[in-house]
Amino acid sequence: MADFQTSTQRAKWILTPQKLAERYKVANQKAVQMLEKCGTTQVEVDASGSLTYPTEKVDAGDQADKKLKPLSVDEERFMRAFYEAKVQEVCSAFNFPHKIQATALQYFKRFYLQWSVMQHHPKEIMLTCVYASCKIEENHVSAEEIGKGIKQDHHIILKYEMAVLQSLEFDLIVYAPYRAMGGFVSDMEEFVQARGDEIQKLENLLKAATAEADKVMLTDAPLLFPPGQLALAALRIANGALGVVDFDRYLENIVSQPNYEHTASELTKFLDDIESLVKNYKYPSEKDMKHINRKLKSCLGHSSSHDDSKKREKRSKHKSHRSSNDTPNGGAPVG
Amino acid sequence: MPEMEQPKKVADRYLKRELLGQGTYGVVFKATDTKTEETVAIKKIRLGKQKEGVNITALREIKMLKELKHPHIILLIDAFPHKENLHLVFEFMETDLEAVIRDSNIFLSPGDIKSYLLMTLKGLAYCHEKWVLHRDMKPNNLLIGPDGQLKLADFGLARIFGSPGRKFTHQVFARWYRAPELLFGAKQYGAAVDVWAAGCIFAELLLRRPFLQGNSDIDQLSKIFAAFGTPKADQWPDVKKLPDYVEYQFIPAPSLRSLFPAVSEDALDLLSKMFTYDPKARISVKKALEHRFFTSAPAPTDPAKLPKPLRKQEGKASHDRHDAIRVVSPPRKLRRLMPERGKLDCVKSHVDKDQQAPMSLDFTILAERPPNRPTITSADRSHLKRKLDLEFQ
Repeated sequence: MADFQTSTQRAKWILTPQKLAERYKVANQKAVQMLEKCGTTQVEVDASGSLTYPTEKVDAGDQADKKLKPLSVDEERFMRAFYEAKVQEVCSAFNFPHKIQATALQYFKRFYLQWSVMQHHPKEIMLTCVYASCKIEENHVSAEEIGKGIKQDHHIILKYEMAVLQSLEFDLIVYAPYRAMGGFVSDMEEFVQARGDEIQKLENLLKAATAEADKVMLTDAPLLFPPGQLALAALRIANGALGVVDFDRYLENIVSQPNYEHTASELTKFLDDIESLVKNYKYPSEKDMKHINRKLKSCLGHSSSHDDSKKREKRSKHKSHRSSNDTPNGGAPVG
Repeated sequence: MPEMEQPKKVADRYLKRELLGQGTYGVVFKATDTKTEETVAIKKIRLGKQKEGVNITALREIKMLKELKHPHIILLIDAFPHKENLHLVFEFMETDLEAVIRDSNIFLSPGDIKSYLLMTLKGLAYCHEKWVLHRDMKPNNLLIGPDGQLKLADFGLARIFGSPGRKFTHQVFARWYRAPELLFGAKQYGAAVDVWAAGCIFAELLLRRPFLQGNSDIDQLSKIFAAFGTPKADQWPDVKKLPDYVEYQFIPAPSLRSLFPAVSEDALDLLSKMFTYDPKARISVKKALEHRFFTSAPAPTDPAKLPKPLRKQEGKASHDRHDAIRVVSPPRKLRRLMPERGKLDCVKSHVDKDQQAPMSLDFTILAERPPNRPTITSADRSHLKRKLDLEFQ
């Protein structure tokens, strides 16, 4: 679908930085309250999309529960960053096109606008988002294949699919910067009247910008800016290193087009903002992750999830191949 | 307590009413949206148990309709899971173009036909503008609202197109509406496939019967060639490159006039452009809308004044005939309109008492057994799924 202007993405899924910060805070607080009241944060899900929230604990003075500390907003961000990088890893392992990866990332980001990682384990959501993205982008891979390919129980994917779709409010078409970048580069060819050598240089620029766009996709930028601006930002970063075109002049050319909605200085400001999101992107260290993951495991409640994974194990065909680390809530996600 | 007597609301919002039909992947029932007080149609799709999770056809329909908002595209109001079913809530539509075409009590004037075609093409033009191929255009999928407005529905086969080199399956459309390039196995195709199908719908409106009724894919091509002649090299230079191309014995083209003796010159000209063999040369929907057929007299009929199939309450007058032909009318149209198979007889016997009887029963007034329309059969569908699995490059 080539019309971003009338899309659900533009209408519903591009937020102001303030709003985004607020959404993350609210999602975190809900989970924190749940932990206080119920002693666990795990929201159970079934394949028909119905959710079961933890029940309030009767005895508030339980000693073991007192130790439970919720994740902070920043720790949640690290947890998401870790699994967003995993989305890219999984997609590259399957050689999926960039579009699949970008859609999966968008789904993952949108999902955690409504939920805390303490309520739905990001590993399970990550796998489900990759599966749903393949399905929606018409690159069908069965849940079993995905599960097998990365040694994970595919039943989890099928269990979470409806809950994820519903959290996405069934807005399933998402726009990524990649196609827009291709468009800008062919536009640049015309703009600089490229020939021979220059055409090759522009092709290199597109390649470099694609790698930059992969980085942009890991930041909050996809929830804050339209795909066209993400594309321009990635191109500008790549062009900064390669020096293929006079980018400022090219931006002026863009804003001079009839009906373009921004001035040159506005557009430059947006691109600066996106660039600084990329520069300030933080990926958690192994040490960070060990600590956060330990906290997350205790919030999700060891015992109940243990039973759950045992049940699944009985149904799974490849139980013998799975180590305890493969159970959804078990094991450190590092590595 | 009076509240207990109230029918239960689905998802606290929709008051369930009668069953409208049985779909390929669930049932459709009528409901009242208590939020807006409007009548809606809810498609229930069974969940769970499937190895491949949520039904892909339903997901395609949702993802497309969430983005497509147009007066001639069916409005998807809501989508939600509820008790093991995925529910899709649509605006309620009274009937469909197939029912209009088949109703022998309806006279379609040239202005009526123009109006139906105009609305079809407007909806289709919007899809193509958004780079969406419908891929299942047929009268049964063109629904008609209480205000006479025609809307494209059933986007379960729709695809986004426009990526260069992207390959698709050719197993799309009900056979009678399938473009020749699809029948020759084309994997890379575009908006022209929908135009061919729209041409078939135009012809069907004029003839009041499906135009090219092949009973197999090969036979479908024979029917096409019998109508328009075998394509000559200069007419369609690329045909020989198509994967399933086979040479057919030369058949000369009869004059189009002989097939449509009663239609205007403008109508004939537009038909010939929509049935152009070479998909590259076939008229686009946008250009078709600019065709003089739509500006020349007679003007398209105001949709509110278009003839509609007899509704149940109005059908009482023709009670006798109704009874007489009940026997010959087969339980057709299971897809959208028929009540459950088993309940058919009981519904039929209550037809005259029930003011709100499903519109499907309108067909019982048909005096003649209409031909069975091929849809994409289950065999085709499994083929389609395999194709879709493999088609990504």
